[in-house]
Amino acid sequence: MAPRLASSAALAVWMMAYAVLAQANAAENPTPWQLGRSLFEGPAELQGRIYTHLVDLPPTVVRCANCHAVHDGPEVPRALAPRLTHDVLLSPHARRGGPPSTYTRDTFCRLLRRGIDPAFVLISVEMPRYDLDADACDALWRYVIGSSHAGDAP
Amino acid sequence: MPATHPDLSRRRALSGVLAACATAAVAPLGSRARAQIPNADHGRVIPPVPIPDLRVADTEGRTVGLASLLQGRATALHLMFTGCSSVCPIQGVIFERVQTLLPDQRELGIQLLSLSIDPLGDKPAALKAWLRHYNAREGWMALAPRAADLVQVLTLFGQGPNAVENHVTQVNIIDRRAQLVFRTQSLPSGDSLAAILRKV
Repeated sequence: MAPRLASSAALAVWMMAYAVLAQANAAENPTPWQLGRSLFEGPAELQGRIYTHLVDLPPTVVRCANCHAVHDGPEVPRALAPRLTHDVLLSPHARRGGPPSTYTRDTFCRLLRRGIDPAFVLISVEMPRYDLDADACDALWRYVIGSSHAGDAP
Repeated sequence: MPATHPDLSRRRALSGVLAACATAAVAPLGSRARAQIPNADHGRVIPPVPIPDLRVADTEGRTVGLASLLQGRATALHLMFTGCSSVCPIQGVIFERVQTLLPDQRELGIQLLSLSIDPLGDKPAALKAWLRHYNAREGWMALAPRAADLVQVLTLFGQGPNAVENHVTQVNIIDRRAQLVFRTQSLPSGDSLAAILRKV
């Protein structure tokens, strides 16, 4: 019995260690979808400001999830910002009085950085403009056009 | 993550109050007040609009007159509610920066006012927590109107009674005679607000 108990204990320890290491690896090397979700909801920090301001806003107040619902997730109470889904972004829609347009990763990133939408309409002053590198913007794009499930990420 | 939102029953109650008040309140004051603000969108308000002495609750639960709180000081007033996760946190940070930029705020006779548009939800404790969250110092008040006065508040400082679901983010500047004299653009910078307040 003793050797069997010892081997079971060793297996349990090994499995726990593997889980901890896997979790640590995911935290250190997230997939683009995981990074996108973390940027969208936190805790990853975004750097952004209202474009008429001289200083950046604290990361907690410029999180996408403060204003935007995403995929089929819960509503953001009393927020006017649109829900971000694959269909909303990739199907032709007239936005802000402009002609029908669809997003690409580049136009999505341009909107986040400079506030210009795919139809070249300037978005509301109330949406922050973000200082995003290419990887972070790509991660956000993959997250919002994906789904709630990491496995469905494009 | 989005903050907790007011529960449905409270929202229904608020809608009921608004519906009951709208007919009575909008016609006599709302249309008159808005008619007095030809450039109601933003900029100088000509002629200045006297602020009515609405009853408002402070962070200690006391009921006070709004106009009397405004007399003798230059005031920056924004509309907010503590359960708001979208623009209100930005509004709070803007006022926090104004206080940083105006260490001599008291000597200058300048005050900041966060006026709730959720009188049923924003009890004194919630208003107190709002101020604490943004490191508010002396000279920054948080108040809530009576539900019965909400239409009047939204009409005067916002963009009409429909703004209860989503409110404007402009800042109303009120002079030392308790008159609305200026409305900023949406989400003005703390730097521009501080500069405006020094001139009022």
